[in-house]
Amino acid sequence: MTSKGPEVSEPLIRLEHVTKQYHGVKEPAVRDLSMDVQPGEILVLVGPSGCGKSTTLRLINRMIEPTSGHIYYEGEDVTKVDPNALRRRIGYVIQQVGLFPHRTIAENVATVPKLLRWPKKRIKERVDELLELVSMDPSIYRDRYPNELSGGQAQRVGVARALGADPDVLLMDEPFGAIDPITRDRLQNEFLRLQSELRKTIVFVTHDIDEAVKMGDRIAILREGSEIAQLERPEVILTEPADEFVENFLGSGAVLKTLTLRRVRDIELAPMVTLRKPVHRGQALQAMSDAGVGTAVLLDDQEHPLRWIDERALNSSERAIESAGRPITVQVQPEDTLQDALSAMLTTSSGMAVVVDARGKYLGGCTIESLASLLLTAGNGSSSS
Amino acid sequence: MEGISSWFEYLSERWDLVFTALGETLVYVVTVTLAAGLLAVIVGVATRHHAFSKELSLAIASVFLTIPSLALFTIFIPLVGLGFVPSFIALFLYAILPILRNTTAGLEAVDPSVLESAKGMGLTPGQTLMQVQLPLAWPVMLAGIRVSALLTVGISAIATLVAGGGLGDFIKSGLARLPLPNSLEAIWTGVLLSVLLALAIDGALLILGRFTTPSGIRGKSKSA
Amino acid sequence: MTSLALSAQPSRRSRLTTWGSEQLDLIVTPILALALATLLATVWFYSDFDETTSRILEPSELARQAYQQLYLAFFSTLLVIVVAVPVGILVTRENFPSVKDGLVTVLGLGQAIPAYGLIVLFFVWLGSGALTVIVALATFALLPVLRNTIVGLEQVDRSVIEAGKGMGMTGFKRLTKVELPLAVPVIVAGIRTAVVINVGMAALAFLIGGGGLGETINAGLKLNRPSAIFVGAALVALIALAFDFAGGLAQRYLRPKGV
Repeated sequence: MTSKGPEVSEPLIRLEHVTKQYHGVKEPAVRDLSMDVQPGEILVLVGPSGCGKSTTLRLINRMIEPTSGHIYYEGEDVTKVDPNALRRRIGYVIQQVGLFPHRTIAENVATVPKLLRWPKKRIKERVDELLELVSMDPSIYRDRYPNELSGGQAQRVGVARALGADPDVLLMDEPFGAIDPITRDRLQNEFLRLQSELRKTIVFVTHDIDEAVKMGDRIAILREGSEIAQLERPEVILTEPADEFVENFLGSGAVLKTLTLRRVRDIELAPMVTLRKPVHRGQALQAMSDAGVGTAVLLDDQEHPLRWIDERALNSSERAIESAGRPITVQVQPEDTLQDALSAMLTTSSGMAVVVDARGKYLGGCTIESLASLLLTAGNGSSSS
Repeated sequence: MEGISSWFEYLSERWDLVFTALGETLVYVVTVTLAAGLLAVIVGVATRHHAFSKELSLAIASVFLTIPSLALFTIFIPLVGLGFVPSFIALFLYAILPILRNTTAGLEAVDPSVLESAKGMGLTPGQTLMQVQLPLAWPVMLAGIRVSALLTVGISAIATLVAGGGLGDFIKSGLARLPLPNSLEAIWTGVLLSVLLALAIDGALLILGRFTTPSGIRGKSKSA
Repeated sequence: MTSLALSAQPSRRSRLTTWGSEQLDLIVTPILALALATLLATVWFYSDFDETTSRILEPSELARQAYQQLYLAFFSTLLVIVVAVPVGILVTRENFPSVKDGLVTVLGLGQAIPAYGLIVLFFVWLGSGALTVIVALATFALLPVLRNTIVGLEQVDRSVIEAGKGMGMTGFKRLTKVELPLAVPVIVAGIRTAVVINVGMAALAFLIGGGGLGETINAGLKLNRPSAIFVGAALVALIALAFDFAGGLAQRYLRPKGV
């Protein structure tokens, strides 16, 4: 399947003229909304606070009942199905996670499979499988309790739990909203990696347009009453906003936001001069002048990048080479957007950023030049690759 | 000390009586706590979604505690006679509030996001109640049960006035025979054994709490 | 918060309900009292009392006993307040944290002592008479007032006290102008509990010759007159309910505005 742009096929979820009106409130929370969700896509619902995006999400798994209209899941009208059975087929992830504090991590993740009466052995295997999937070593975390986890870890378990019975659909309500920006970034990347493996259908609610652009295959920008202002692929929205509301919501950085559409893995990584301990001054200088660069990367024996070593550091004999230069504090991963790469490059003030894989091993470097050339060759307008 | 050794002597001479009295008090505590506990938990669970009936049941239960013990023990006598029954009724009515209040508060204190995620995963309301809410509210409920049990031990001494038996018998007989020998010992027997019984029951319930609370939530709720 | 005394009160955030249990208290109590009073009146006016019962229930006798009971309750409550509030204040001053904890634990354990036993013990130590009863009752009611004084003072927002300090108020001024007024609702709740306990326990005064309406109940028990038992018990209950109601009103209207 292509990376962006879903196949046009039978929609997995269809909302038809759905309205939700609360008693005593004048305006409906959701007004006459019609929308399709294609299988395998991440559809992001984004909009200002109170626009009804969470309400719309929760109509799909009948946490809230629609006042009128129809919602179809896999062709069935959801209001005609037992709500509890429905919810066991759909994964649900919320901002505060809501792990059961009185149960272990393993028991939490096993919740839906247990409800569906899977055999014990299968449940155990599934739990281990899921914890691995979200990068949490089962042997460590199986028997821990939620109160021992950090926010980021808790949400990983939340995602694992939602995937428990292997639902086709995940509903996610601002899942990374309560997490610090650094961890959020990492979780977003990991989630995208996961999605590329699992290919679930996901409806994702956020108020953060940057997150929407990063995560979404298609984005629905919502006005009050959950009215769709524009529903399109991110690059289309960014370059051709439908109206003033969308423009205002995107904010002034819309053009720069196109940087968030491409990822580091789209750039060709520049091979950099790498040094390993013990560093031989003469050889290092030679290698650097051969390559025509002024800076090299020092790796440790697990191939993790440690420091930038430049010529001046090599030439000064005052300190040991291994502690010369500057430590590498910012690293970039292939799933990171070009925007992340750009800010990494700016912090090192060397026009370069080091790229590592999921385990922190060195992959290569990316330079400002390669970034610029990618943007320039792509030109403006929608890109599809 | 003389006093203590004479007390031990007194006890050993009447061990069967002491045993009976302890047993009677224990019967009150067990039956009352179970009955009141059952009622309180049922009412607490039934009213958990309706603010008004919840507050109403709490108000009614607390009014009972306002009525003086002597009055509550004796007021039903014209209807049910003397002995175990009026004592049980009075102790039962007293024991309801602590358990009810803690059941209500414990259920209210469950993190709403836990309830949201439980619903979202497809647990029925009944399953949510049994698998999530009650286990999480249990430590608080148990604290209420402890208070009820201790309350019952203390107040049950009055049962002797309506021929209900219990450790109060010793106090009554001691009072009646003052200043004859052994009257003081009788009184102390009633008082001290009540305290010891209370401590024992408290300890037992504390241990029960330890065993029935999963470590994920231990230390989160404190009793008064 | 109604009575903190007799129960474990886990902390819970108060919600904005239209009918909190405090308000309902002020309704349920009078309703029950009214029902009881009606029952009492029915029994009083419509039963045929035999001679013994009529003698037991001689109105002047009842009035005297009621008076005795209230007299005892009043003085014991006074004693409790005079002892518990200052001790509560002292113990929450910054120098005595461990004393406070120890005190509260000891008194908490003391709750396990049956009131009946306590009264009798005091009789043994202090002889019969009103004073003995007053002291015994005061001891029993000590815990609620002491604990509520402590809790009430401790829950005063630290920053308000700091502000007072910053404005140059002396410790005493801070106590009387800031801490105590803000602690009043909780302290009054404790006093209300103590009053109700005392009024109720005073019914046991008859055990040691202290009089009170318990005598009527006791007479009814001894002479096997159920109506007398009922009348005595109902009267005791009504008095206690009346005081509880009054206490509830006091709690409501003595609350400083804005708290």
